[in-house]
Amino acid sequence: MNRFHYVLGVVVAAAAAVGAVALIRGRGVTGEAEAAAVARAAMERLGYAPLGEPDATFEGDQELAWALERASAGPAGAALARGEGGAVRWRLVFPAGGEAQVTVDGVVWSLRRPVPAEPGPDLFPSLAKARVEAAIAQTVPDPSRWRLVRAQSWREGAHTWERAWFVGGAGPLPPGWRRELELEMVGSSVVSWRRFVHPLGTDLGVVTGRMAELRLLRRPALLGLAIVVIGVLIAGAEAVAYRESTAVVRGLVYGAVVATAGSFAADTLASAPVQAVVLAAVVALLPAWTDLPPTRLSWGPAAGVGLAAATLAGHAAILGAGGWVPVTSPVPAGTGWERQLADAWLPALVEEPLLRGALPAFAAPLLGWWGAALLAAPIGALLHPEPAVPLLASIGLEVVLQLGLAVVARFAGVGGAVLARGTCEALVQRASFPVGWTWDRVALLGVALGTVLLLWPRRRD
Amino acid sequence: MAAPARLTPLLVVAAAIGLAAAALWVPARSPIPPAAQPPEAAAERAERELPSLGLPWGKVRGWERVNGGWTVTWQPAHGMWLVRVWVPDGPGEMSWRIDAASWLPGVRLSRRAARALTEGDEGVGQARERLGRRDWLLGDARLVGALPAGGELPTDPRRRPSPAGAVLAGLLLAGAAARHLVPGVPSRRWRQAVSWSAVALVPLLPQLSAVAPAFRAGVRPWVGELAFGGAAILLLGALVFGAQRFAAVVGRPLAGWLAVGLAAGVVAGRLQPAPWLLGVAALPLRLPALMALAVLLGWLMGLAGDGLRELARPVGRARPAVFAALGVAAVAFAGPWLGVALAVVAAAAVERGSGTGMAVAGVWGWVFGSVWALAEWEPALRDALALLLVGVGTLAAAGLAPRTAGASSPAIEES
Repeated sequence: MNRFHYVLGVVVAAAAAVGAVALIRGRGVTGEAEAAAVARAAMERLGYAPLGEPDATFEGDQELAWALERASAGPAGAALARGEGGAVRWRLVFPAGGEAQVTVDGVVWSLRRPVPAEPGPDLFPSLAKARVEAAIAQTVPDPSRWRLVRAQSWREGAHTWERAWFVGGAGPLPPGWRRELELEMVGSSVVSWRRFVHPLGTDLGVVTGRMAELRLLRRPALLGLAIVVIGVLIAGAEAVAYRESTAVVRGLVYGAVVATAGSFAADTLASAPVQAVVLAAVVALLPAWTDLPPTRLSWGPAAGVGLAAATLAGHAAILGAGGWVPVTSPVPAGTGWERQLADAWLPALVEEPLLRGALPAFAAPLLGWWGAALLAAPIGALLHPEPAVPLLASIGLEVVLQLGLAVVARFAGVGGAVLARGTCEALVQRASFPVGWTWDRVALLGVALGTVLLLWPRRRD
Repeated sequence: MAAPARLTPLLVVAAAIGLAAAALWVPARSPIPPAAQPPEAAAERAERELPSLGLPWGKVRGWERVNGGWTVTWQPAHGMWLVRVWVPDGPGEMSWRIDAASWLPGVRLSRRAARALTEGDEGVGQARERLGRRDWLLGDARLVGALPAGGELPTDPRRRPSPAGAVLAGLLLAGAAARHLVPGVPSRRWRQAVSWSAVALVPLLPQLSAVAPAFRAGVRPWVGELAFGGAAILLLGALVFGAQRFAAVVGRPLAGWLAVGLAAGVVAGRLQPAPWLLGVAALPLRLPALMALAVLLGWLMGLAGDGLRELARPVGRARPAVFAALGVAAVAFAGPWLGVALAVVAAAAVERGSGTGMAVAGVWGWVFGSVWALAEWEPALRDALALLLVGVGTLAAAGLAPRTAGASSPAIEES
């Protein structure tokens, strides 16, 4: 029997590893190296050769990206967000001067070069407008579709500066959208330009309206967690009064981990110290809640790979059924392996002990374990859903994920659910970060841990 | 010893009659002006007298009592904007305001165009750039895109954070711990009363969203109602759970003491009414809502009262004096929290088995007293009177029911 279990473990570990690699393969933000080359070429066209390798930062406009996807269904919308829509882009800062924003598909979105020592002769007022209009050809690939709407000039230092605003119509963007461009010249040299997109209000409204609605719907879920925290306080008092068995050291360590992760993560339910204290108390109390299933850590990551696959398949199913969910992954507030790790694992570390530990421990005497798990599912589902059309599709998908985690917690305990959730989130969120092995390693951390746990030889009884 | 034992009920009944007389006949001046009309009448006046402001208002979604008037909220089904109008009770001038979603399709007006639209003077205006539109603030006037959006609405100066909420939360936690750690015979009746009151509130939640801050610009009203309903169901579920897990203990409170609590609650409601109860009194199904709220709030105050009793245990024989001092302090400083503060002190002052009944009686009277002091339209007063009669009838039934030996657990008797 032991041999069978071990072989089963090997098979599951191998399947999880293969599945995880398949899930992250080809996912991630591309175009960092190309963006640097494009920016360098654009600056050279303006007569400036930037020196050194630029610092690249990924940035984006989340609402704009999703509004473009909503307005142009399917891959076309995602392509617009990565290209002519300018929603997701690289910011490149050259060490010796010069800065540019280039979309991940290689469109120069903005550019500023150092002011040249010899910018050429100042434009004669009667000719300035024509020269400025002609300069648009240096900035966009379709200059004929842009028209000058306003221009101004002023004297600064030894040169005359010109600033002009162009409007480019919708172009490749959805109908009703508008492109704008602001261009600056010194003397007769172009030194900077910057593009803007003004979306059609209704396209933007569907997305931002859904996001606002989901933010509002998050409040009842937070209230549910707050009620659970109150229960934890009372249970803690009871444990002290009755001298129940608790795991104080384990709780303190867990609280320290939560506090560290919370200090790096972009989105937390409460401030990092508050989360740490609450979770330390929950983990310390876990031994006193004898109704909870025992923890089997080794099966958690494999289950997490399955849940990640189900989540991604759910997105595809909603799109295939004619609904809408975001294709462009949420743009992280900052990049870095610690941010990637914290964003993926903090929800698991914070929410799973509350939803799969404390809540069932309190509610199981009244509702039974499965009843408590069903109660936890809608609470968890409202904490992190993405906008969707219809809105209930996104919430429904999250409910399915939560029910899956409840099943995991039933058979692998709270610890198994934490590992499953963390692994799942890391794989799903992989697409938000740049391509590259550095980021892949962080995403695969949970799977690696699960593989070690599954293959670790057990002692014979 | 027999004479004092017989004298005590008589004194209690006399006190109850005296307090009831005081509650009914002594003129009490509430710090909040009463409402001469229900919010429906205020909404009708606003719709009749104000221009449409250039956009459909949608349905009336909610109301709130503010400074001698009603602030009524309208929102269309798409949720793009929220129209709020403050309507004074008298013939005074109405104030209005439109809040629009940040993504509302609009225009980018120049300063001169904005001034022309708002008919403003030459003062300095502030522009706020948004995705898809530009808003202007010109003195008191606002423009959302090209939409006149009104000015500021009156706010209630009495509404400010109070430490009373934190104290009450602490007492509730102490009460929960006390009920769990100090053994007693759980009362099935209170469990059922809390559970059925919570269940009764569930079908009323769509109506109750009118008095909750559930609506906001950019969020469709059904989503706002869903968020409020979800939060309310979680709270009600927690209350039902709390009633099972932290059950009130069995006891047979003396009907006379309950009458004292009820009358004291009425006096508290007349002296310091709760304006939010006026919003509930404006609902179509106000009577069941007020009854269920009184039971649930009363049970919670009983829980807090248990916490206060246990916290005051170290003072020993000085406890009556401490509770009396707390009662006087509540009258002096509690303000709009007076009703709940008195209910907590009353629950703590009586024996453990009677605390919840005492608190519910006090809150019941406070709810009636608040509506009586603030509402001046007939349906609300009629239902408030029905609420009082239900309370008095329950007291009468409790007083006439035969007292059986052993109804109160020895474990819960005060030492």
